[in-house]
Amino acid sequence: MTDPALISTFKGVFRLAAPEIALIGTACVVFLFGCLCNRRWLWFTVSLLGVVLAAVLAGTVKTEMPAVVTAAPLIPDAAAGFVRWVALVTAFVLLFVAWGETDRTNAAEYYACLLVSAAGVSLVGRANDLVTLFLSLELLSIPTYVLLYLPARTKLNQEAAAKYFLLSVLSSAVMLFGFSYLYGLTGSLNLAVIADALAKAHADAVNPMALVGAVLVLAAVGFRITAVPFHFYAPDVYEGGPAGVVAQLAFLPKLAGFVALARVFGLFGPDPRALPFDSSTQVPLLLWIVAVLTMTLGNVLALLQDNVRRMLAYSGVAHGGYMLMGIVIACSLPDAKAAPGIGGIDALLVYLVAYGMMTVGAFAVILYLSTPDRPVETVDDLAGAGQSHPLSAAALAVFLFSMIGLPLTAGFAGKLLLFVGALTAPGDSPAMRNLYLWMAVIAAVNAAVGAYYYLRVVGVMFLRTPLRPLGRSKAVPTFLAAVALAGGTLFFGVYPEPIRKAAQKAAPVPAVPAKADAK
Amino acid sequence: MSNPVGLALTILALPLLASVLAYLMRGTARTARLAHLPLVVGCGTAAALALYLLTTMLDGTAERVSEPVAWFAAGKLRAHFTVTVDALAAIMLGMVTFIATLIAIFSSGYMKGDAGFARFFAVMSLFVFCMCGLVLANNLLLLVAFWEGVGLCSYLLVGYYFDKPSAAAAARKAFLVTRLGDVGLILGVFVIWHACLPGMSPDVPFNPLNLSELFGYVVRHPEIHSQVGLGCFLLFCGAVGKSAQFPLYVWLPDAMEGPTPVSALIHAATMVTAGVYLLARCAPLFAVAPGVQIAVAWIGGVTALLAAFIALAQTDLKRILAYSTVSQLGFMFLALGTSGAISPAFAVGAAMFHLFTHAFFKALLFLSAGSVMHAMGGVIDVRQFGGLRRVLPVTHVAFLCGALALAGFPLLSGFWSKDLILESLTEASESGSPYTAGYFALFLVACLTALLTAFYTFRAYFLTFWGPERIPHEAGHHAHESPTSMTLPLLVLAAGALAVGIVLQPFTHWFTDLLETTPSLAIARGPTPARVVAHHLNWVLIGVSTVLALGGIGLAFALYRNGGADKAPAGLDAVFAASRNKLWVDELYHAVFVKPAEVLAFLARVFDGFLDGLARLISSAPRALGAWARPIQNGLVQFYALSMALGVAVFLTFVVFRISR
Repeated sequence: MTDPALISTFKGVFRLAAPEIALIGTACVVFLFGCLCNRRWLWFTVSLLGVVLAAVLAGTVKTEMPAVVTAAPLIPDAAAGFVRWVALVTAFVLLFVAWGETDRTNAAEYYACLLVSAAGVSLVGRANDLVTLFLSLELLSIPTYVLLYLPARTKLNQEAAAKYFLLSVLSSAVMLFGFSYLYGLTGSLNLAVIADALAKAHADAVNPMALVGAVLVLAAVGFRITAVPFHFYAPDVYEGGPAGVVAQLAFLPKLAGFVALARVFGLFGPDPRALPFDSSTQVPLLLWIVAVLTMTLGNVLALLQDNVRRMLAYSGVAHGGYMLMGIVIACSLPDAKAAPGIGGIDALLVYLVAYGMMTVGAFAVILYLSTPDRPVETVDDLAGAGQSHPLSAAALAVFLFSMIGLPLTAGFAGKLLLFVGALTAPGDSPAMRNLYLWMAVIAAVNAAVGAYYYLRVVGVMFLRTPLRPLGRSKAVPTFLAAVALAGGTLFFGVYPEPIRKAAQKAAPVPAVPAKADAK
Repeated sequence: MSNPVGLALTILALPLLASVLAYLMRGTARTARLAHLPLVVGCGTAAALALYLLTTMLDGTAERVSEPVAWFAAGKLRAHFTVTVDALAAIMLGMVTFIATLIAIFSSGYMKGDAGFARFFAVMSLFVFCMCGLVLANNLLLLVAFWEGVGLCSYLLVGYYFDKPSAAAAARKAFLVTRLGDVGLILGVFVIWHACLPGMSPDVPFNPLNLSELFGYVVRHPEIHSQVGLGCFLLFCGAVGKSAQFPLYVWLPDAMEGPTPVSALIHAATMVTAGVYLLARCAPLFAVAPGVQIAVAWIGGVTALLAAFIALAQTDLKRILAYSTVSQLGFMFLALGTSGAISPAFAVGAAMFHLFTHAFFKALLFLSAGSVMHAMGGVIDVRQFGGLRRVLPVTHVAFLCGALALAGFPLLSGFWSKDLILESLTEASESGSPYTAGYFALFLVACLTALLTAFYTFRAYFLTFWGPERIPHEAGHHAHESPTSMTLPLLVLAAGALAVGIVLQPFTHWFTDLLETTPSLAIARGPTPARVVAHHLNWVLIGVSTVLALGGIGLAFALYRNGGADKAPAGLDAVFAASRNKLWVDELYHAVFVKPAEVLAFLARVFDGFLDGLARLISSAPRALGAWARPIQNGLVQFYALSMALGVAVFLTFVVFRISR
């Protein structure tokens, strides 16, 4: 511990996490003084200021790569920056969304938990060792348990909270178990060291113990990204949980999960051509199967749902499957003969942003349209929304169109990149052959199946008349958030270049393929 | 603004703007009530501008073609958005916008209080826009586009009362029957384009779709005339559909289901004149195909006689007028068919002049009929009312003016234009054309038709306005003259019907002189050994047509001055029965075309049902898969945890199994 470079590395950690510290500091203030004076508008404003402060810090605090990357717990690379900004913007939007379900009994706790979750997601993006990664993921999960329970008034709410808690804890245990394997094999907690060591080891022969670790990590992350068969909680929790919390639950854990998976599998690494788990380890094939199963099962089950939240839950499962395609594509990089146009992770990041906008937006609209005496539960509850709430209905229609992947919505840009990535992935590696092509075909069929249940909602909203008209909601901030997200969905649908550029900066595609170099 | 192309484009833009405005005004009840204003103001301005455009044409300015703007291009096919402004187009523009303005004013009174008031005016404006675009188009594809636009608007307007099954059926019939002709039109465009392909090369900026370039090329290249002839015949098929000629005239009488102002617009200014205009515009093409020309003339003659015959015994006032339109359009085609045998400028001049005068008196007649219908509570059957000349004094005078003009009463507008057509036929029968006998026969047909026209027009007049006063109970006790907004256009049109003929043509030749400045007519004159006809007063013809008109009117007076719509002249009962049943043409079409089509449709439906079943089977697969997977989601948290553990186990087994293989 006398190496000055090492000391500067550890000292620099606080600088790297300044915005997150600001978020959690704000959360502490809100927690503390919320007991004394629980006013919704006050804590809303304070939390908003906290997010703005974090954003200012994120924009102004100069950071540089730690001197010793192999020892640094946090690294400020481009991917970390991308995740942080997405987390901050999401927190900002979710604060507005949450207005619809906070009241004077729970506002302070609600907003504080939201800020902590956002800080957790942001830290997942920059975690560089297993312990930090695990803690960041828990920083995201634990406030969620509280949030699910906060407005819990009915048995259904409580059941949802309990289910989520139990299964989430189980998945965390599985993750720690997997991390212990990785640590045991490489003797290091540092992700860069682990990736490097495994990549070197697997060049000669595949180490089964490393695969056990990888599978356990995948299983634990699978819970967060609602991959089959770890998705079971999603419909029950989405149906029972408060809509604003569900909006967060549908997006933040997925974001964190995919980023964590990419980190552990070394897909954000400086050179993603030497991967610790390339196609010879069979992990990409496993991911392929999980992706296909997830999107198919999510879609066919969503077809049968009459409850709009359950429908969105299954649709979220399906979207998780689509996004897993990005990971599968990224795992193909070592086999690439020529430089691919799309590396997989960049497509995944674009899709994540689009998914976040449409999912949070859809739940925001549902939250806005629900009133205590006229809740929106089933699809039929939305009947006539096109006439009574034209703007909200139009926003929901935009989100649903984006989920289908219709052109001129952000969802289209995401799907396009993923599909093109799958079609351009190399088709001649011995383990995968033309499975990438098949993945694209299956995803396309799934997208077509998905269109049915999304369009059904649109049809009900605009073509049917309600038995009981929807109530008049007073949650104006929620409405504003929904409209803003719809605007964003359309804007990035028409002009996806900014996100695509940012995503490519976060996960650059290697210019020259590795195998071609070797020959 | 003094630039003719700019003027023309402004005229084109105004009705489109009016249409959008009227549609937007649909929103609230307060603005919807004012939805007629955009059309009245926009179309009125357009009419004023068109009049100004005509004055700029008077000083002999040549054709103006706008800069072509690429619309789309595919291979050698280049479609340009380009308009041409010449005397022919300017006359049409002026006529269309002027008549449409009067009809719009009339409709604002006629349609008052209707639920679809704003929709009505939005579509009317669109109709005028499409017609103006069709008139100005200098590109065949653009012309086809506006042609279809006209068809669409007629569909929307004829089916305006779409909750009435007969109106919906009439709209469908109008659309489908004209669509038959449209197929010919599009094929004709491509045949002509194909014929001109040899003239296209990368270094020659020749686009055969642009009319102004096409005409010169066709006239200079005799080797492609046979192909162009085929193309002309196909173009004529389009005109037959749109202008309601035999055998496709059946849609026009049914189109009466629309509101009466729509009928006036369709019959006078927009829809049906499109076919006549197409042939007039493409006169250089038709001039090189004399075989097609005699076909045009025969179709026109047959239509004129057939429709006049059917009109004899109809009892629906609007239907009588509708058949008279079909018949008068036949006259116009008769005149167009003589172009080639005589100089195209004369033939086209005769047809266009008749179109012009016809627009006035037919709009007048329809609006008067609308006024009658308005007063009679929607009843239009001449058997149910009579002697209305004291109840509806203004309408009576207006109708009388229109009827006199239509019958060809001496010195009125219809008299002079019909005279010009008869003259073109006699001249054609004395020309060097190989079909002189045919033209002479057609002259006799035209004379007979003129007699019938005078008869049936005045039959309708006497039945409606003479005899004992009878008012149907639908009219209630307050049958009264229509409001000023309706009678004012009637009076303006009546003045037009009386005077427009004598002022513009027989002594001054203003109309034909202006028309002859059209460059395409000069091109058409080029290759043909046509007989050049000077405009002069042919006293023999004037005498013949006076006798015909007065004879028809006198017969009608003798038979119907005291009412009795079902009366037939002695010994002609069978003939009148045939007329009343429209010669069973509709029944014939139904048996020959509709029934087989229905059988075919039935077979197609069976096949479609099979395909549907197949598609349903495929689409039910995901649902079945979902239903199969659904029970796993059992809501038990212990099962969820178990499935996660099992998932880990399966994953591990899978990976280990794969790598150890």
